[in-house]
Amino acid sequence: MFSNTKCECGHQNHVGTVLCEYCGKPLIESEGNSDEPLEMRYDGVARRSQKANPDVVDLIWNFFSSVKVAVWLIVLTLIGAALGTRFPQEDTFLNLHTYQEFRDFYTSEYGTAGMIYHALGLSRVYHSWWFIGLLVMIATSLVICSLDRVLPLYRALSKQQIRKHLQFITRQQVVYQGPEPADTGPWLDRLERELKKKRFKVLRDKDALMAEKNRFSRWGPYINHIGLIIFLLAVLGRGVPAWNMDQYISLDDGETEQIPDTNYYVKSEKFTVEYYTDEELPPTLKGTLRPKLFNTKATLYACTARCDDPSQEPELKELVTHDIQMNRPLSYHGLKLYQYDFRQQPRLISVSPTITNMRTGETFGPFELPMRNPALTYEVGPYTLTLKDKFMDFGGFDEEGRPMTKSRDPNAPAFIFLVKGPDLPATGETYIYFPKENDKIRFSQDVLNQAVADKLEIRVHDMNNVAFSVYTTTLNVRKDLVMPFVWSGAVIFMIGVIMGLYWNHRRIWLRIDDGVLSLGAHTNKNLYGLRTEVAAALNKSGLPVSEKSLDNRRKSH
Amino acid sequence: MSMLDISRDALMAALLIYSASFIVFMIAVGGKKWSNRDPEAHTRRWGWIAFGFAAAGWAAHVTFFITRWIAGGHIPTSNMYEFMTMLAMAIMTAFIVIYLIYRSALLGAFTLPLVVIVIAYASVFPSEIQPLIPSLNSNWLRLHVTTAALGEAFFAVGFAAALVQLLRVIDFTRTDKAGRKARRWVESFLLVILIVVGFLVSVFSFRLAGYEAVFKQESTKVVQGQEQTIVSQVKYGLPPIVKPYNSEAVQIDSFLGTKESLLAAAPWMKGVNSGRKLNTIVWSVLSGLILYGLLRLIARKQLGAVISPYLSDIDPDDLDEISYRSIAIGYPIFTLGALIFAMIWAQVAWSRFWGWDPKEVWALITWLFYTAYLHLRLSRGWVGSKSAWLAVIGFLVVLFTLIGVNLVIAGLHSYAGVS
Repeated sequence: MFSNTKCECGHQNHVGTVLCEYCGKPLIESEGNSDEPLEMRYDGVARRSQKANPDVVDLIWNFFSSVKVAVWLIVLTLIGAALGTRFPQEDTFLNLHTYQEFRDFYTSEYGTAGMIYHALGLSRVYHSWWFIGLLVMIATSLVICSLDRVLPLYRALSKQQIRKHLQFITRQQVVYQGPEPADTGPWLDRLERELKKKRFKVLRDKDALMAEKNRFSRWGPYINHIGLIIFLLAVLGRGVPAWNMDQYISLDDGETEQIPDTNYYVKSEKFTVEYYTDEELPPTLKGTLRPKLFNTKATLYACTARCDDPSQEPELKELVTHDIQMNRPLSYHGLKLYQYDFRQQPRLISVSPTITNMRTGETFGPFELPMRNPALTYEVGPYTLTLKDKFMDFGGFDEEGRPMTKSRDPNAPAFIFLVKGPDLPATGETYIYFPKENDKIRFSQDVLNQAVADKLEIRVHDMNNVAFSVYTTTLNVRKDLVMPFVWSGAVIFMIGVIMGLYWNHRRIWLRIDDGVLSLGAHTNKNLYGLRTEVAAALNKSGLPVSEKSLDNRRKSH
Repeated sequence: MSMLDISRDALMAALLIYSASFIVFMIAVGGKKWSNRDPEAHTRRWGWIAFGFAAAGWAAHVTFFITRWIAGGHIPTSNMYEFMTMLAMAIMTAFIVIYLIYRSALLGAFTLPLVVIVIAYASVFPSEIQPLIPSLNSNWLRLHVTTAALGEAFFAVGFAAALVQLLRVIDFTRTDKAGRKARRWVESFLLVILIVVGFLVSVFSFRLAGYEAVFKQESTKVVQGQEQTIVSQVKYGLPPIVKPYNSEAVQIDSFLGTKESLLAAAPWMKGVNSGRKLNTIVWSVLSGLILYGLLRLIARKQLGAVISPYLSDIDPDDLDEISYRSIAIGYPIFTLGALIFAMIWAQVAWSRFWGWDPKEVWALITWLFYTAYLHLRLSRGWVGSKSAWLAVIGFLVVLFTLIGVNLVIAGLHSYAGVS
């Protein structure tokens, strides 16, 4: 098929060249359309993939270098993505885990269609091997398509001939042919001036002229492809665990916790939620709870000493305090803390009880007893309290009569003190104290304390002496080291796509043969604009033409 | 008069001026064959008058947008009503840009009715100002929504031009199979547009008449091992041709002397709302078919054959270029708004830039579709009718992303207030 690669001008072209690289003469013709406008794609140069005897590597290269293949890949990705939206994806159901659970869920919730959806793997399509495979193939296609075209195109555009073959000129999209103007030289000067006013670069070779502008827009597609490749690589890079962290931490007001696997600690100073008042709501929403603000006032700490010893309190250095709200995460050196969720869950922070001597009726205190990190001893009036043990979520006694805790959360706190003081033995007495009134009754504090309960009582007198947290906030801790690459890929894509679509590469060729002036012009897009520009330049230089008469497509029908 | 009143009046004014502009654009296109005038001068003169109306309508529309912004204290893009009115404004903006480049009166004759339909559709939804919920309170969100809408608006103008082109190139003298097929497709698409119009006409006529029907549905659900009976109610604005599955009428206004519903929804349409949605679809299709039938009776030929002769003075290649240019302008704006700003916002609000939420996926699908369109045009030489059909389908994908996803698939974007 591509046998004769030598042009009549003597230039030896690569196999697959459509238009002679030197003079522009059409080399490959399908029959019967010899007057139609030329196919100017990639300036008619041979692409890298057009080889005479392809080997296996060439065949793979050729496959991925095809735009037809690229469009198929895009269409298949599109169809796969669309199918995945029919029912919710599996990862939206946080409480389901196994294959069986998901199958039952999809079947019961969405019927037979749901069962088929799940069986075909469409319920986890975006993580399926074939969907990711398609994305990888698109990335490959982006690299190969670009390389296949950009180098030959660069070669062709950097060594353009001013005097083009006559057929090349008369078969452009915009063509003018007419008698040579009487004053050829000065007329060409005027035309050159007009074109330069429109920011064309003008080159002349005796009575031939070439004008060109916005060549850079031809590189737009390749730049946007580079952006996309960076973007896709960054997205694939998110799979590397060390570059990526995704943790959830639930905190009561005043609670501090370590962010797992890091040196950081985070404390929730206070969580607040605000709702719109009825005056602020429109009629149909009155009486509904419409949230206005979720805010966790949080402080981030770094551990400076005793970090890995669970028996000791770590030494913390305050780094930053921030009001974490929706759309306002706390950000510190690539670490980000987001407001994720909250629960209304009243929990004690601290109580300030007093000690009453039951014999005399005297009352001492109050003393402040925080639920988390209480002091080991308290001196209250004549009494000395030594903390023997504490249970955050008291759960009764085990078989051997030892007290148990159900969790680390302060749902039902209990404290066991060794109390010394008036009327008590020198070795002290054990006293169990439940700060919450309902726990005290539920677990029968007075029965547990037996005789000691008749000698003294530790209790809180009113709510002013209680500090409690109403809400538990859940923060999402994220670290994503590839994000800068994701964003730079996106920016490069935008630059490329704007270059390619908002500017267009326009070229005008002109030659004069035996008293006939032939002008051809080409643009890679926006023919209308080119037509207007050429007509205006010709008119102003003194050659009256109508815009529409320049359109070669019209003449050919 | 409060800001909100000014805002409502401004939108009503915009709607009326757009309708006037549409009529003048039709005079510009259709009146050129009237006697005693130069067709080209006629189109140019009336085209400019119509454009003047369009610009005035746009100014009123912008007034609506700004006053509503002031009244609500936040940019009005946070529910379906606000989004659709803003989309209509964006389509007008895109139209003004493209019109100033190409000066095509035909484009106006097709874009203006589209804008009127979008505003009418917006009015189906509740128009009250709702205070923002915390997740929507972000500047990135504002940028995301407005920029995405502007990109989509250029796709809409590209769609209008493609539609003109399809009607323009249709050949009514051809009797062979391909010619009949082309006519059938274009005619079907006109029917689809009439169904949308039928939907609006039926919704607003029955709303004006104050029609209401209420159904009650009892369903049992097992919650923590115990059977519970849940009673849900649904209010119909259209007479119930189809009632919800397994439901009882609570109250039905009489329509044409009957208080019965003909059919019930199929058992697999469990919820009360799927019955209501199906009923709306049935009404839209029926009224669309009636409208089509009436128009066919008046014209006594295919609707395409009625419109096509008026389009003869514009070159199909120019229409092809207008459509392509509009999409090429819209593509970077759409990418920036619907994908990049959306990803930035998602990163700030939800801690991940991409979560395969249905709305995100459909924005990606729209983008992939127009990417395929551009590649097919640039590298595979798909121009003319093929490309025009792609532009038409592309806009349908846009509409599905904007409306269909909220109606059919629930996801994170379900706040958008579609009831």
